[in-house]
Parts: sequence; structure tokens; C-alpha cells
Amino acid sequence: MTPREIRPGIRRLFRLAVRRPAESAGEMDDEIRLHIALRTEQLIARGCTPDDARAEAEARFGLADHARRTLHDSAMHRETRMDRLDRLDALRQDLRYALRGLRRNPGFAAIAALTLALGIGANTAIFSVVDAVMLRSLPVQRPDQLVQVAMGSGGGSDEFSNPLWEALRDRQDAFSGMFALANRTFDLAGGGETRPVEGTFVSGGFFDVLGVREIAGRVLHSADDHRGCAPVAVLSNGFWERAYGGDAAAIGKTIVLNGHPFEIVGVADPAFTGIEVGRAVQLYAPLCAKAIVDGGDGELDERHAWFLRIIARRRDGLTIEDARARLAALAPAVFAAGAPSGMSADDQREFLANELTARPASTGYSAMRSTYRTALLALMAVVGLVLLIACANVANLLLARAVTRQREIAIRLAIGARRGRLVRQLFTESALLALIGGALGLLFARWASGILVSLLASRDTTVWLDLSLDGRVLAFTLAAATTTALLFGLAPAWRATRVDLHSAMTTGDRAAGVGRRRFTTVKTLVVAQIALSLVLLLGAGLMLSTFRTLTTLDPGFEREGVLLTSVDLRSSKFTDEQLRATTRDMLERVRATPGVRSASASTLTPISGAGWNGEVEVDGYTPKGRKDAMVFFNAVSDDFFSTLGTRVLAGRDFDAHDVAGAPEVAVVNEAVARKFFRGANPVGQRIGIGGPDGQRTMTVIGLVRDAKYGSLREKTREIVYLPMAQERGFAPWINLEIRGSAAVSSLIPSVTAAIGAVNPSLTLAYTTLSAQVDASLARERLMATLSAFFGSLALVLAVIGLYGTMSYTLAQRRKEIGVRIALGAARSRVVRLVLGEIGRMLAFGVVIGGAMAYVATRWVTPFLFGITPADPVTWVVAMLTLAFAALAAGALPAWRAATADPMLAIRSE
Amino acid sequence: MAESLPLVKGTLDILVLKALSWTPMHGFEITAWLEERSGGALGVQDSALYQALHRLEERGLTSADWGVTANNQRARYYKLTRAGRAHLATETAQWVRYADTVTGILTTAAGPT
Repeated sequence: MTPREIRPGIRRLFRLAVRRPAESAGEMDDEIRLHIALRTEQLIARGCTPDDARAEAEARFGLADHARRTLHDSAMHRETRMDRLDRLDALRQDLRYALRGLRRNPGFAAIAALTLALGIGANTAIFSVVDAVMLRSLPVQRPDQLVQVAMGSGGGSDEFSNPLWEALRDRQDAFSGMFALANRTFDLAGGGETRPVEGTFVSGGFFDVLGVREIAGRVLHSADDHRGCAPVAVLSNGFWERAYGGDAAAIGKTIVLNGHPFEIVGVADPAFTGIEVGRAVQLYAPLCAKAIVDGGDGELDERHAWFLRIIARRRDGLTIEDARARLAALAPAVFAAGAPSGMSADDQREFLANELTARPASTGYSAMRSTYRTALLALMAVVGLVLLIACANVANLLLARAVTRQREIAIRLAIGARRGRLVRQLFTESALLALIGGALGLLFARWASGILVSLLASRDTTVWLDLSLDGRVLAFTLAAATTTALLFGLAPAWRATRVDLHSAMTTGDRAAGVGRRRFTTVKTLVVAQIALSLVLLLGAGLMLSTFRTLTTLDPGFEREGVLLTSVDLRSSKFTDEQLRATTRDMLERVRATPGVRSASASTLTPISGAGWNGEVEVDGYTPKGRKDAMVFFNAVSDDFFSTLGTRVLAGRDFDAHDVAGAPEVAVVNEAVARKFFRGANPVGQRIGIGGPDGQRTMTVIGLVRDAKYGSLREKTREIVYLPMAQERGFAPWINLEIRGSAAVSSLIPSVTAAIGAVNPSLTLAYTTLSAQVDASLARERLMATLSAFFGSLALVLAVIGLYGTMSYTLAQRRKEIGVRIALGAARSRVVRLVLGEIGRMLAFGVVIGGAMAYVATRWVTPFLFGITPADPVTWVVAMLTLAFAALAAGALPAWRAATADPMLAIRSE
Repeated sequence: MAESLPLVKGTLDILVLKALSWTPMHGFEITAWLEERSGGALGVQDSALYQALHRLEERGLTSADWGVTANNQRARYYKLTRAGRAHLATETAQWVRYADTVTGILTTAAGPT
């Protein structure tokens, strides 16, 4: 039979190739020919001559008027349409078949879909955070046009002084608009404990350049931003709804920021959530209002104060390279106009040589991004491995299922179904499973990503991320589901259709040769699972150990039981003398408060993230360079060391006599003694430091234990403590440390009252030392928690996979084992046989996983603290955990096989 | 041949379905059937008929197989599918209602204005 003679019904049934255009045209010609012939006959019968009849027949058909071509086209059109319908039909059929298959085996379907949901969900959850932190464009007009202006050619600072900003703003011509902004946490309380609200000082162009509109009142424009401007503020929609119930009457009302009244002029569009990822800004005030809040010129004329970030919008048609070129050309004039005064000639030359550049800012900027970038990517890799394990599990389930279907498949092949068709049908089932898994995974991810963000935050820092579903996350989930389906579905489908028809249909449920091959596949998958699980377990072990080390290490102070109070002095305009008096009074009152064991004051608190460093000169020590003479400072009151629990090893603590006018003194830590005094007792030695008023020389009066300064991870730093009472030109805030006898948070009201009695206008922010330390470990906590979670998940999946595999392979070998037992093999031997098999897979998995983990080492090292990736304890524990879990997973099937009645097993067929 | 009526748009499809509702036919048989039934009053262009057949097959209302005529000629036979039969029923009912309504209006004497 030629293809032309195959009936279309048959063709469709067996999915034979669609007819080619030539064939379809040929068929049409046949039809026309017959029609003309019959018509001619009809006309002859009615009395026409043959020639006339033929001519009349052709005329009626319209053969002269391209009828043939029209019909060829329409026949062709029909073919393509029908072919498409056929395909759709086939897909529908495949889907129906797949659904029926899943419904017939709901246990399998549920386990497979749930496994995939966990795998895909974990990936989607992490990805949606990656998306929110790193990929998502700002919710503004044409975010692709936005750039951030930065100094230097790469990785340079992105903070500018106001004079530099103004110099740039007035000169630039490559941008359609430009604005500067500075974050500020405002205080709504105006005395006593602060009520912080996240705000931003923005230059006049902010809203217009971004293209952000108001939903009530108005936003800020250039006219709002001039020296001596009126105090006005624009609220975010969220803040408006929370604080004012979304009431339009809020417009025109006054809001008090740091004790200064601001008029609310409008509310920004709800879709606009700020341009810094991770920080939810609640209100915007014009940059010029900084002078109102901070007093004086608000550092607006200060050439030393670097606090502004600059964002610009490229003109249409200008590339980022064009913008960079323009900025580079402008740089000399801008830096000349904004150069700080009082610089040494060298410093000045260096300053003027600075460059200006632009980097893409379509995703805004984010402090969070740099902190969490690598962590998020590492987590992405981790969940990728989890998904692979899940895939291996489902693939194994499918393979096991294929055996029970072997006869069905053999029959279908025997009656002529093509293999590709069957593969497609089996694969449709996998794709369906993956899609169901993906949909469930999406739900799971919605829930999990919320938890993830709460892990990023700590008690003192809120993290705000827009995790709403967007096209990218959906596309990711779909891609994950599709890849998954390919990974776990294709091989089993292919394998399942490779059956030896004869043996499949004659012998029972196993065909010898194929069976062995199938076992190999199954075991390979189990080995892969074990290997991947080992990698994840090792990672989890290292992260947990790191976190444990950091939370239990001795930082050189007692982290529990200390309340920290930050007193904001920015609006109080104290002289040094007034400040000393106020500090003294505050300490006196706080120390007298019931429940307070001791209290002290300082410029910095440990692990706050802030730092103060400078060079020192010590007789007898020659520094190798400026950096080598660098130490860290803190100015503290008396009792600082006893309150924090840092032991004084030699000499004495500061006391009431170390005041301005008295001989200048200092306390140093062991690291200073080791480095600058070569381990000798430094008490009584002299140390020189530079300062705004020239060189000062102080006598070391005490030696204290080393303590962590900026972070728990740091190597021990050299710290010089100076007495607060001898310091001049204070930072505009001081910190109080208060050690209590009971839960320190309960002291807050009485401490607030005590400080309020000294000066009711001082604003206070509270935290505890332990919370501050915890906050510095947010990333480590995240990594430890998640890697432990995913490690456990991997282990559970691997155990399920192993259990399923062993049950299945043993069921296959039931007869063989029955015969062995019947012939007198001890049951313990059977158990040993099974466990030996598990042991072999385990050994393979551990070797492969170990090699993989060894390679991955490079990646994890930056996350670790106090442990090396090759830590033997971690490796042993991980391997033992895995071995124990694997043996436990194999024990039940092994026991079942060994205790089965041999006669039943042998007779089973 | 007598003056033939122009075919109202869309009616050819139902007429073809009607023709096939008796028995599978090839293209010329359908033409002949239509001519006979209408007494030659309906003018159906031959090529238009084949286009209609393609359309119907495409929509799954008919299906076609190659067969042999009584005179042993190879011919493409069209037959009604189940969907085609259902379609014919609804279209017929609709057509009758439509024709009755239009006829009713057209044959009523116009009232005084």
C-alpha cells in the first residue's frame, strides 16, 4: 500500500505522517477528474454531444477561473488544520491516559507530587527572594534608564557631599533628570523612648525623575527643595494607611519628626515602594529640610559630610557608555567645586583626580543585596540539589511502576503501537506530575518565602521585600517543573518501553535481562541521592557548627543581661561641657534605679557595626606603614568594663578623677600590649594619638581582655579606650550600657523615667546587647537554619527513595529468596545480603558525594567561622547520619523478605 | 438550464450535511442530489461545493475516505460524523424558525400607516 491509499481514519489512529502538499493536490485532481467525467456522462445522457458535454462540464466547474488552484489551496488548508487537530487530540488522549494512570494509583501520585512540590517549592521560595533582592526592576517608569552615579572607576564610593551633588546637578547635561537622597530614621516621639519611622531626605527631582505620582495631595517637586525651605513631608501609602487609616484629612496635618513639625502635603502612589530593596521608606522630606532637623546648615554646606546617593535618568537615546563619558568629562570641574577645605596638598591632588562613573540602577540599590548575594546564590545551589534528589526519587518510583505495567506496554507494542508514541504517553504522565508538583510548589513557596524573609530580619531590623508573584517567578517555577519532568520522566519512559515482548508476555512480572539493567538504573539513582544528600548534610553540618561557634564563643564581654540605650543628641546642641554634665547626671540616676546593678556610657557599643579608628604612636614601635599603626578607639565612662563583663587584667579602670584637665589616660587591650609593647605590661607606658587639636599623649593606666569590636567574626583588633570625660568634639549621640539583676527589658520604663528626669527632650532607642549581637548573625542564622532544613529534607527524601527501592527490588527477588530459604539459607544471611547491598550503594554514594563536597569546598569557605571545610568531626557525623538512615531505611524491607514464608513466595506465580 | 436561485450565504453547508445524512456520497453525487432535490432551482458552483466539503471536514463535521464507485472508479466518499449529525439538527431547526419568521413578515399584508 502506498501512503495515499491508507484510509485517513487509520492514518490518524496510528499517527502516520500527514500527506505532503503534492499528495493532497494529486488527490484533489483525482476528485476533479471524476467530477468532470461524471458530469460529462450526465450531460451526454441528456443529449449533448461528447465534446459539448465535456466543455460544459469544465465550464461549470470553473476550471478556466483558477478553480483548481483555489481547491488545491483549500485542500492544503484542510490538511494542516486537521493535522493540528490531530495533535491536539493526541495530547488530550495522552492527558486522559495520564490522568487515568495517576488516579488508578493515588498513593504513588500523591507521594510523587508532594516530593516534587517540596523540591520545586523550595526552589521557587529561594528564587522569589533572589528575584526580590537582586533581579526585580524598580516600580517606576522606565527603570532601565536609571543609573547610580558613583566615584572612582569601579567599586568606588557612592556617597557624595551636598556641595558635590549641587556641583554635579548644575553641570550635568547627559541626563534628563537627577536626584540625590539620604536615608534617615526619624523619631516620632519627641522625647523619651523613640518611635522610629524610616524616612528619606530627597532632592526636589526625586518623584518627577522617577515618574512617581501621588494618590492624595501632591508629591515633592523642585520648588520644595531650596535653602530655607518649608518643612513638608510626603507619606508612603502604607504609612498613610497604618497611621492615618488612609484618611484624606491627613493632608495638611502636622507630623512631628525629631521634635520638628512637618506639614503632610501628600501620599505617594501605592505601587511605589522606594528605591532601596529591603528598606520600606515611610516618609519623604525635601533634602533642604535636613537643616531643620539637624540644626545649623544640616551639613548641606559641609564638604566633609558624605551622605548622599545620586540617581539619574539617562536621556532617550543615550547609552550608559555615553553617560559615563559625559560624567568622566564633568568630573574635574565637579570635584574642583566641591573639594573639602583644609586638605594636605597630596590629599587634595588625590581628591581632584577622582572620577565619576555610572552604574545601572534599574533594580535600585540595596545594602542587603551585597550582604546576602552570595548567601542567596549558595542557597539556590542547595535547593537545586534538593530538587535533584526529589527527581531521583520520583524517577525511581516511576521505574518501579513501569514494572507493574510491563505487560500492558508489551501488549500495546505487540499490537503495533510505536515506541515513540508510548514514550510520549508515559512522559505526559511525568509532565502532568511535574505540573501538579509545580502548582503545589508555588503554594508552598508563597508560605516559605515569607518565613525566609522573617529569618533575614532580626529583632531590631525589619526587612521589607516585595514578594508578590511576578512573571519571572512564574516562569522560573514553570521552567523548574519542565526541567524536572525531563529529568525524572524521560529515562524511565524510555526504559519502560524497552521490553522484550516475548518474555514480558510469557513469564510473569519480570524479564531476566531487562530486570538486571533496570536494577542498575535504580541503584545508580539511589547512589546519586546518597551522594547529593552527603553534600547537603556536610554543608548543613559546617553551617550549624559555624553558627554554634559564633553564638557560644567568648567575645570578651558578657552578652547576656545588658540593656543598651542610644541617646540622640543631634537636636540638643550641647556644648562639650553640657554633654559631660548630662552624661554624668544620667549615669547617676540610672545607677540609682532599682534593678540596675551597674551602668556606663560610651561612644560605641560592641558589634554595632560602627567603628572609629586612627593611628597611634608608641615609643619603640616602628610601624611598617600607616595601616600598621592603626588601632580602633572607643570613648567610655567609668564602669564600662565591669558593666560589659570585660576583665581588667592590670592597672585600673577609669574613675571620677579622669576628667578634662587631669592627666590624659587610656586603657588598652591585650592585642595592643602584644603588638605595640611586645607583650610587656603596658601600664604606665605612653601612647600618642593624633586628633583634631593635634597630637595628644596619654598614659596607659589599665590593660583589659581582648573583646570583639565590630563583628564576632573579626580577628582580634587592637583597641584603645579613652575616657569620655576627656574627649572633645563628641559624636552626636551616646550609648548607655545597663546591667540589671533581672530581665533587662523590664528596666526600660524606669530607665526612661530616670533619663527623662535629667532632660525630657532626649530621645532614647533601646536594644539589648544580646539582640545586637544576634542581629549581626542574621546571615549565619539564615544559612544555618536553611541548610539544616534542606539537609534534613534531603535525608528524608533519600531515605524514602532507598526504602522504596529496597522494597521494590526485594519484591522482585521474592522467589529467589524464597528458594534460598527453602534450601536452608539462614534468614540472617538474607538480611546480611540486603544490608550488604545497601552498604555497597552507601559506599559508592559516600565516595562520589565526598568528591563533590570536596570540590564545593571553595564555595562555602567564606561562610565558615572556626571550622575548616575538611573538619573531620563534621564529616564523620554526616557519614554516620547517612549510614544510619540508610540502614534504617533498608532494615524493614530486609526483615520482611527474610521472614516471608518461602512456600508462599515460590508459589506466588 | 432554467434561471437558478442564488444561494443564501451559509446554506450550502447545511444542504451538503443534509445530503450526506442519507448515505456517504462522493462530490458529484452530492451535486447531483442537490440539483435533483431542488429541481435545478439552486445554482451551486461545482468548485464552491468542494470548498464547502473541505470546510466541513476541517471542522470535523464530515470525514472522508477513498472508495470505489459502482462503475469501479476511485472516488473520495464523504460521510457525516456524529458532530456533523448534531450540527445538522440544530442548524435545520434554526433555519426553519428563521425562514418561518421571515416568511411570516413578508407575506403579511402591510397595515395602514
